[in-house]
Order: sequence, then C-alpha cells, then structure tokens
Amino acid sequence: MDWTALTLSIRLGLLTVVLLLPIAFLVARWLAFGRFRGRGFVEALVALPLILPPTVLGYYLLVAFGRASPLGQAFEAVLGHPLVFSFEGLLLASLLVNLPFAVQPMQNALAAIPPNLRDAARCCGLSPLAAIRRVELPLALPGIATAAVLTFAHTLGEFGVVLMVGGSIPGETRTVAIAIYDRVQAFDEASAGVMALVLLTLSLVALGVTNTLARRMAHRH
Amino acid sequence: MDGTGELRVRLRQAAPFPLSVEFSAPPGSVTALFGPSGSGKSTVLRAIAGLHRTDDALVACGGQRWTDTAAGEFLPSHRRPVGFVFQDYALFPHLTVRDQLALALGHRPPGERAARISALLALARLEGLAARKPAALSGGEQQRVALARALARDPAVLLLDEPFAAVDWALRESLRHELAALRRQVSLTVVMVTHDFDDVAKLASHLVVIERGSVSAAGTVADLTSRNAVPGLGGAREPAVALDAHVVAQDPARRLTHLAAGTLRLEVPTVPGPVGTTVRIQIGAREVILASRRPEGLSLHNILDARVLAVEPGGHDALRLVHLAVGDARLLSLVTADAVRTLGLDRGAPVLALVKAVAVEAFA
Amino acid sequence: MRRRAAIPRLLHGGAATLALIAASVASGQPSPRVAHTPPAPLIAAAADLKFALDEIIVQFGRDTGESVRVTYGSSGNLARQIAQGAPYEMFLSADEQYVQWLAARHLTRGPGELYAIGRIALFAPHDSPLRPDPRLSHLARRLSDGTAGRLAIANPEHAPYGRAAEQALRSLGLWEAARPHLVLGENVAQAAQFAASGNSDGGLIAHSLALAPELRRRGSYALIPDSLHEPLRQRMVLLVGASPTAERFYEYLRAPAGRGILAGYGLTLPGE
Repeated sequence: MDWTALTLSIRLGLLTVVLLLPIAFLVARWLAFGRFRGRGFVEALVALPLILPPTVLGYYLLVAFGRASPLGQAFEAVLGHPLVFSFEGLLLASLLVNLPFAVQPMQNALAAIPPNLRDAARCCGLSPLAAIRRVELPLALPGIATAAVLTFAHTLGEFGVVLMVGGSIPGETRTVAIAIYDRVQAFDEASAGVMALVLLTLSLVALGVTNTLARRMAHRH
Repeated sequence: MDGTGELRVRLRQAAPFPLSVEFSAPPGSVTALFGPSGSGKSTVLRAIAGLHRTDDALVACGGQRWTDTAAGEFLPSHRRPVGFVFQDYALFPHLTVRDQLALALGHRPPGERAARISALLALARLEGLAARKPAALSGGEQQRVALARALARDPAVLLLDEPFAAVDWALRESLRHELAALRRQVSLTVVMVTHDFDDVAKLASHLVVIERGSVSAAGTVADLTSRNAVPGLGGAREPAVALDAHVVAQDPARRLTHLAAGTLRLEVPTVPGPVGTTVRIQIGAREVILASRRPEGLSLHNILDARVLAVEPGGHDALRLVHLAVGDARLLSLVTADAVRTLGLDRGAPVLALVKAVAVEAFA
Repeated sequence: MRRRAAIPRLLHGGAATLALIAASVASGQPSPRVAHTPPAPLIAAAADLKFALDEIIVQFGRDTGESVRVTYGSSGNLARQIAQGAPYEMFLSADEQYVQWLAARHLTRGPGELYAIGRIALFAPHDSPLRPDPRLSHLARRLSDGTAGRLAIANPEHAPYGRAAEQALRSLGLWEAARPHLVLGENVAQAAQFAASGNSDGGLIAHSLALAPELRRRGSYALIPDSLHEPLRQRMVLLVGASPTAERFYEYLRAPAGRGILAGYGLTLPGE
C-alpha cells in the first residue's frame, strides 16, 4: 500500500472539490436560470470532458500549459517551477476535467426548483444573494452533495490525464491510480491489489451515496 | 410601513406578446384584473411586483415610482413593499410555517419579528401549524400561509394571482370569506387576478377587464355590473348587479336585516353583524320582476319605485334586459319581450321593481 | 428553541470541515519546492533498471543515510518529460542519444558517462510453449508453422530495449513474421510484465530484468547475442539544478558498491 500515493490522491480529490464546487455552482446557476443564446453551446463545452478520451484532454492541457506556452510560462513565473509534472498542474487539470461532474448534478438540482419559488423569494424581500443562501442552496443540497461525491471519486480514478500532465512523480503526481499501474509493472501484484481494492471500495461507497441522494431528491419535502 | 397610496400602472410591450395596459387602483381598493386565460393579466401582476420587465412601463405607488422606463428607474422586487400570493402558493418546501413568515420579515428589526409572527399566525388562523412544513398542510392551510407570508411584508399592495383557482368550490367560498374578513382588519390595496367573475362580484371594488393584452373596460364593480357593461362575460353568466351595502337596522323578531346601498333600501334574511357592517350584495337580473301595479298578497319584501333607463336585447330572441334607475342606484331586470310590450316599458316609464328578499345574495 | 436554519448550518459546517481537512492535508505534505528541508531528489531511470536500481537505492540509504526517489519509464518518454521541465535531478538512460539530446539543450551537467552496456534476452514463462534459445530458432519455427502466440517487446519508438529487440528480430529475418504477434509495452518493464503474465508466449526484454528474482521464478530466458543489435550504450547524467544528494548518488553508482549491484543484474561496462 503506497500511503504517499493515497494521501496524494485524497489531497487532490479534496482540493478539487473545495476549489471547483463554488465555481461550478455559479456555472450551474447560470445554465439553470439563464436565458441566453448559446446556452446549448456552453452546456456542450462543459460536458466535453465526459466524452473526450483522457489522452486528448491531456494532450491539449500540455499544449495549453506546457513550458512553451504563454500560460505555462506565466505560471512558472508565479510558482517558481513548471506547471506540468507538478501537483499544481494536476490540480488545474483536475479542475477542468471534473467540470461536468460538478456542474451537471447542481444544474439539474437548481433547474428542478420551481421558478415560482425564486420569484417568491424575491417577493419575500430576499436579495439575490440572500435568495441563493436561504432558498437555492438548501433546495439544491442533494445535487451539491452529489457533485462533491462524484468529483471526489472521479478525481481518485483519473489516470490518463494525470499520467500525461503529471508523469508519475512520487509524492508529487503519483496518485493511487498511477501507483497501481506502477506496481503492476514492478510485479508487485500484492500492493497493486490492495490499492485497487481501496479504490473499488471508495467508488462503490461514492455510488451508494449518490444513489441515496438521488432518491432523497425525488422524495424530498 | 405606511402603505396605501394610489397604485398607477402603465405597461406596454411588443414581445413576447403584445400588451398595452393602463389603470389606477385607488388606495384601499380591491381591484380585480379580469379576463380570459392568456390575456396577460398575470403578466401585469408580475410587472407590478417587478418580476417582469417591459420596454415601456410605469408602476408607481403613492409617491414612490417603482418602475419608470422613461427615467430609467427600476426598483428590484425585493425592495418593493408588495406581498405576492402565487397561484400555486410557492411555499418553500424546506421551511416550516414559522420560518416562511420569518423569512419575509427581513425588513423588520430582529426583536420585533417573533411578535409579528405570532400576530400573523393568529390573523390567518394558523396557530398550531407553526412547526409544520408545507407538505403536511392541506390546500386551504397552504393558502393561508401564503397569504400570511405576503402580509408579513407589511405591503403597500397585496397581489393575488388566481388565489382560488386551484381549490374546490366549497373551499373557495370559505377562502373568499377569509379574504373579506382580512380586508376588514387590514386596510391595504389589493390587486387580484382572476378569470372567475364570482371573485369579482364578491370581493372586488374595482374592475379592470383585460382581453388580448389590452384594457377593454375599467371602473367600479358597482358601476360596470349595474350597466351590464362587463365585456367577455357574454352568455356565460347571468347579468347581475354587485353593490356594497351596509346594515341599517336589524329586525330579529322578523329575522330580517335592513340594508342600504346608496339610495337603495332592501330587506333581506338576517345578515349577522351590527349596524354599519358592510355587505356585498348581488341581485341577478332574473330575480327582478317588473310590475305596473303594486301587488298584494305576495311573499315579497322589496317593492321599489323605479324608472326605465334603457331596454336592450337579452341574449335571446324573446328576452330583453331592462336597465332601471332606483333613485341614483341602478338595477337590471331580465324579462320577456312580450312583457316589455305589455307593460309599455319605454325609456323614462315608471315601473315597480320587485325583488325577493331571498334573491339578494349577501356576501359578508 | 429555534430549529430554523438547521440545513444552512449543516452546509456551513460541512464546508468548513472540508476546507479544514483539505488545508491540513495540503499543509501536511510539503510541496517539494516549498519545504525548508529539501525532499529526496528525483531520479529518472530507464525501466530496465527497475530491480537493480531499487536495490542500489536501499543500499545507498543504508550506507549514507540519504534517500532518493525514482521514476521508471522508457528513456524517450523520460527525456521528453525532462525537456518539458519535469523536476528530475538525474537521468539514467538506456540509450545515450537521449542524454546527448538533453545536453544539446543545456539541460544537463556535462555529457554524463556510460554506466552499462545493456543486453536483451528472450523470456518465456514456465508454462509457455515457447522455449528460449539464443538464436530464437524455436520462435522461428513457431512463427513459420503458425503456432506462435503473442510476443512482448518494448515500444521501439521511444524505448531503447524495444529498438534493440526489433533490430535482433530483423537480423534474424524474423521481423515481418513476428510483427502481427507483437505486443508493445510502453517501456521494457511493462513488456516484461506482459511477457510474464501468461497471456503471451513470452517476450524480448532486458537482460537485467530477466535476471531479477521476480522474473526468475516465473520462467526461463536466453541471452541474445549482442551482435544481433546495436549496442545499448546506457549513459547517466546529472541534470541542471541537481542537489548535493543527487551528486552523491551519482558518485555512488560509479563506486564499487553501486557497480557491484549493477553487475549482479548483468549491467556491466566492457572491461569489468
């Protein structure tokens, strides 16, 4: 069992959730309530990571954030080291790749709020911010929780993008998923098996939680 | 919040559907926006609340301009002193009754809120239900919560969107009584959207008829009904005059109440309440019999001296609708064309209007 | 008293907990560049060194008390990563051309030096129908009578050992026949894993890997004559920015302790 890799994976997962969820909530809100032309296009863009092969994503991320790119150089100036093959690079890739997992459940939950309720909130004297806090968030909570669980679980399992953008640097970018790959190549099946089992269990738990939340959303109130 | 000033509304838009509406609601009045479904009434209501914006609009209450496109002013909904009761009540499913009301009391200092909530619960007869969530409430209870929540805003204007539409007849009647009772306790301007003329006849003091996005008639309910000048009713409803009357005297021995509506004096079966109680009465045109001679030996209580103002077709070949003046009040009478001829009911002719006490529908 | 706002409280509590966990985990693991005590230097090593270098690292730790971290991969892949800024401090390549490529880009401290001449071997698991021999005659027979199964090699595009395997097959005139049967590993260690997995007949892998206990107990091998392929000139080099620990590790590999372990895996220089 590679504890460093497991800690790294969990750290990556948690940070992704904490950083991505607020951004994704705003995007989800915009898509759920906004009435603007090109909304379908934005939705397709958000859903892209669901369909694109991870290696395609990894390739474009390398192009966009690699050492030769302006963005990569800007990051390097700030961080003091290249973005690729670093934890920060993984985190950035993770934020982008998990966008649909974070946005879609929240968007669905928000869209399910009857439009009358939002009008009612305004007519009850709630400013837009207060309405988000006291009406939208509580009602969308199962969707937000689902988004958090899915994002975390998906980050744990992400392989292709991590390998391409992060390499397999122990303590830095060697996540559990990569470590399993690494252990198999080292003929260390025991280690690989244990880690695979851990990931499997986490995935099952994540699925169980999201299913429960989905049912609760349907029967709420 | 001192509420009530006159509500002035002017709306114009081309899309998504044409709308051209202008009317005023006097302070303390109940103004009904009446018309067929899809005529734009709800849009007007939403515009008053600031939920809908049009290209050309003016919404002003008392001295305060809430929407003025000409001056580029728009007060957001959450800052307008309006209470809105939605058609499906729009109660927040995750909040108890108490919390729904608390949510709407943001404009009051925290110290006052608890007391205000108790008062509202009492007013809307919701004591005992304070800890329930909407799913655990009946339809009528939900409506009272929605009403209480709207009143919690201390609104200058109370907006009701088809308040009785989702409810069965018996409940609808009892809810109308609730609303009427509420209005006696709390004086504010009410704008009510409805497609049911019963609501108008029983509750509204003023009427704005909106058909296909524009105003086809506006005025007091008494005036429009007594002239049978409400467009859109057609043959769907018997012509009837709706008036506000008040109790002049009670006659417990005979179990009768004397009512006065302007110069009209009527005897009706007992309407409870002390002298001065306001009552809304409706007298259907079919219930008014015309006579050229004072009859005797009939079970009639109300024999009124009247004068014929006009005779118009009565919706059927053989029928005529006769407009009558009783002092400065007006009545309608539906009779056969034959009767018109026989009695010689020409313009200006004197005639007696006979109204059964029972035929006067009183709504308190 | 007032049960209101139970859900918002839960939300705030949950978010706070999450942030706290994240912050503590994040701070608990010092980023290699932010810590005040420099973390163990990172070594990039060709995959054929997998078992040999692991052993050397353990011994290095015992002898000096210092530690290093290692990432194995195909030499071409690793060179590419280094060029893209991967934070390695030392590179052990299975083919010196990658070191020269990096040196030309001024990413190395000098030209480095040879640490071994590599050899390839044909490996077959115990239950494989393939019997290894130095001239691959049994393989050739199985290829011609159509009974050959899958054969694993490293990807010749970026793995030196894969290239050597291809060269050997070509030298024996078996390349065209073998091509449809090939399974390509991303690096020679993965090829070895494929070869030993029982899903293939075997594979052409690094001699150093075939000598490792893990493979020894799974099958047998035959050393392929080095005349059948271009020499695998394995060169190591310190990279720009290497730390003193990395320098010490470099020296350790040149010292008898390191060379002894390498020799145990067949990784010798001419004259040893």
